[in-house]
Amino acid sequence: MEGLKPMFNKLRIGKKGENIIFGTFVLLYIGWCVNSPDMNVESLKSVLTIGLSVGIIYGLVALGISLIYTGLDVVNFSHGEFFMIGAFAGLTMFNLLGNQDWIFNLFPDAYGWIIYVVCLFTAFVSMGLFGVFIERVFLRPLTKKGGGYTVAGMGIIICGFGLSVVLINVAYLIWNPVAKPFPAELGLPMEIGGLFLPITYIWMIVVGLSVAAGLWFFLNKTKMGLGIRAVAYSKDVSNLVGINVPLYISIIFGIACAIAGIGGTLVGPTYQVVVFMGYIILMKAFAAAVVGGFGNLPGAIVGGFTVGIFETASSFYISGSHKDLYAFLLMIVVLMIKPTGFFGVQVKMKA
Amino acid sequence: MLKIDQLISGYGSVQILNGANMKVEKQSIVALLGGNGTGKSTILRAASGLIRSWKGTIEFDGEQIQNLPAHEIVGRGLVQVTQGKDVFPAMSVTENLKLGGFILKSKQQLSDNLEKVYNYFPRLNERKDQLAATLSGGELQMLCIGRGLMSNPKMIMLDEPSAALAPQIVLDIFKNINRIRQDGLTVLVVEQNVRMALLLADYGYVIKDGVINVEGDSKKLMYDESVKESYLGGTKANV
Repeated sequence: MEGLKPMFNKLRIGKKGENIIFGTFVLLYIGWCVNSPDMNVESLKSVLTIGLSVGIIYGLVALGISLIYTGLDVVNFSHGEFFMIGAFAGLTMFNLLGNQDWIFNLFPDAYGWIIYVVCLFTAFVSMGLFGVFIERVFLRPLTKKGGGYTVAGMGIIICGFGLSVVLINVAYLIWNPVAKPFPAELGLPMEIGGLFLPITYIWMIVVGLSVAAGLWFFLNKTKMGLGIRAVAYSKDVSNLVGINVPLYISIIFGIACAIAGIGGTLVGPTYQVVVFMGYIILMKAFAAAVVGGFGNLPGAIVGGFTVGIFETASSFYISGSHKDLYAFLLMIVVLMIKPTGFFGVQVKMKA
Repeated sequence: MLKIDQLISGYGSVQILNGANMKVEKQSIVALLGGNGTGKSTILRAASGLIRSWKGTIEFDGEQIQNLPAHEIVGRGLVQVTQGKDVFPAMSVTENLKLGGFILKSKQQLSDNLEKVYNYFPRLNERKDQLAATLSGGELQMLCIGRGLMSNPKMIMLDEPSAALAPQIVLDIFKNINRIRQDGLTVLVVEQNVRMALLLADYGYVIKDGVINVEGDSKKLMYDESVKESYLGGTKANV
């Protein structure tokens, strides 16, 4: 939790040896990519844009995982499912609004944008409420007997696995397993430096970064954020200054799920919305959180970008058929060389 | 102000308090003394709602407060200052104090109370933008007490304010506790430092094995043989 307040100025540089080995790996990797026959400025531009836009999605989910980890001391393994259901919530809203003529008549120019913003907002609010519901109904009873979140950790982790399976199957029942398109009309592709890219890529980066910045502002500048940081550090002391700790735990969980929901709706227009999309995202977000430093919020976003760019660049320049391999390869290399990740917080010893 | 009647409580299945009785009068300083593991802190934790009371009643300001959620007890004006200088190390001194006033509704009141705490402890004012992790032991203790005062409490309970501090600083802190009492608050001090605590307090309780063993006026307790006995384990030491 120490990573929250000093934020960016607390970049942990680490030991010299670690950095030399890690730098060697990075140079080797860059050399490999540069040697590739596909290497040119054009492809580099698209790799960066796609990598950043995919990375911010991993970053957003990792942000939620890290927030729950710092706040409640448990790893939420059902977080990918909140991402998936968030995408479906956005899609449902999109289908509801998509054939409403009055919106089109009211705003003929910005029609697609307005609907999409409403979808994002729907995903944010509904996933927030859904997260609070899940926490209150399924996780809270475990803590009553287990003696608080910190102690009941293992039970909650297993419960997370179970929830993941249940939520996938509930979504399967409601929306069936066919992949669904999310045809948001956001306008023509944008030209950036001679490269035409779907506007959704830019939109993902912009919205994702604003959500992360909003979370930073919320945690550091508002009274509720102060309370959340206090609860994350110590439940007992927070109780003694008059913070309603059970309520704040629900709020932390809700915010983390709401951010995952936004991530799902952001991904929708670029790819497709499908019941099984949560699992692989959870795994990659996990890799991103580990790379950035588990439990560190800015680290989660940086880790997301790193994993996103590494994955995209590798599938462009090395081999596209092993796309899902690279995130975990990066995670293993980082764990071997810098066990605490880029911005790692020293692991708190638990009693 | 605070009345504890036949309180039974503990951690998990381990019973620590076996029917403790206590009474704290308004605007007084009461010392709760006892050796390690006798249940001093447990009484405080039960009173501030951190652990459940199994049996017995805790009455504060004429109302029963046992087993209320901890934040509601703070709202009623009973605040515990924890042992071991439990501050939020990654936050600045001002932020720590603002957290103490978390239940206050108006910003005006918050800044008034901040002013008041800086008045009690000028050292905190000098250090107000530093991270709490960089403070010394005495300053941390001041910060803890200051944080307790931020929410306009009627009574504060201090858990070992003198632990691991130099005598000069202990004296300074105890002077401030006396000032706090003169400003109208009730104080309950849990202490291991018997002599200092009894010098400060009006009335004293000595707890042993989860029940109150000896009680009385602090001037009287100071020379009471049974106080020594409770500390040395029940039998008279032949030294």
